[in-house]
Amino acid sequence: MTGDLLLVLGAALASGVEMVEATTIVLALGVSRGWRAPLLGTATALGVLAAATAALGPALERIPIDSLRLVVGTLVLLFGLQWLRKAILRAAGKLPKHDEEAAFAEELERARATGQDKGPLDGYSFTLAFKSVLLEGLEVVFIVLTLGANQGSIPLAAIGAAAAVVVVGVAAVFVRHPLSRVPENALKFGVGVMLTAFGTFWAAEGAGVHWPGEDAALLALVALTAAWSLAFVRVLRPQPVPA
Amino acid sequence: MRRFVAAVVDFVVGDDVWVAVGIVAAIAATALAAHEGLDAWWLLGAAVPLVVGVSLFRAASA
Repeated sequence: MTGDLLLVLGAALASGVEMVEATTIVLALGVSRGWRAPLLGTATALGVLAAATAALGPALERIPIDSLRLVVGTLVLLFGLQWLRKAILRAAGKLPKHDEEAAFAEELERARATGQDKGPLDGYSFTLAFKSVLLEGLEVVFIVLTLGANQGSIPLAAIGAAAAVVVVGVAAVFVRHPLSRVPENALKFGVGVMLTAFGTFWAAEGAGVHWPGEDAALLALVALTAAWSLAFVRVLRPQPVPA
Repeated sequence: MRRFVAAVVDFVVGDDVWVAVGIVAAIAATALAAHEGLDAWWLLGAAVPLVVGVSLFRAASA
């Protein structure tokens, strides 16, 4: 039960963060060049991502669970550490934070400067929206497949990710502006913590370890990972110079 | 093909290859300890912050 809740939460947070970034580009294209082509590009990319999840999911679930946990646990751990490492460096002020307003302004300028296609569909808008949603979505597909397969429930992870896509989409329709108030780095920090905890749990299980407390150890790993990550932020943050 | 492999490696390994090397070594050590009948559940959980910490301090001081 705890594992399932963390699974849905992890997939939803990862999906939400990636979709906020893709939405910025789709919004800039829609505002500057019209909505038909970017919305069609977005829908096509979401279709491809859903098809990839549906096709690869059953294949992953056929792999013996111990081998799956070792290989996929290692991949999830490495992938999660990438998110967490960057989020810690950003929170400590060692890397610049992602600025949705600046990304939106930059994309808007580029979209306005590029000539309009004469055909029935704006090829530039369609391609850029498709590519952006597909690239951001591939990470989400990876997370949904790996977390879902290891926890034995890809549909549950997919529901979490799809719910986040709907929430971000609806918010973007109402706001019609980049979702810059979404605390992106904090969300990425949270996803990094969860992926790292899940990856540690499964990779160790796949390596032959028996966790004390079984699934409850996952919750302890989440708390422990969050604690040492926040400690690193504190240590790395530049100390104010006394006046 | 080479670009595809490079993209996959970048997708999995990311910015610091030594994090991947350290984590894979820690998982191998865990598997070895478990194979020898040792209760090694703590090993990977202890190795992860150690490996990440070294990587973070290297990145921060670069």
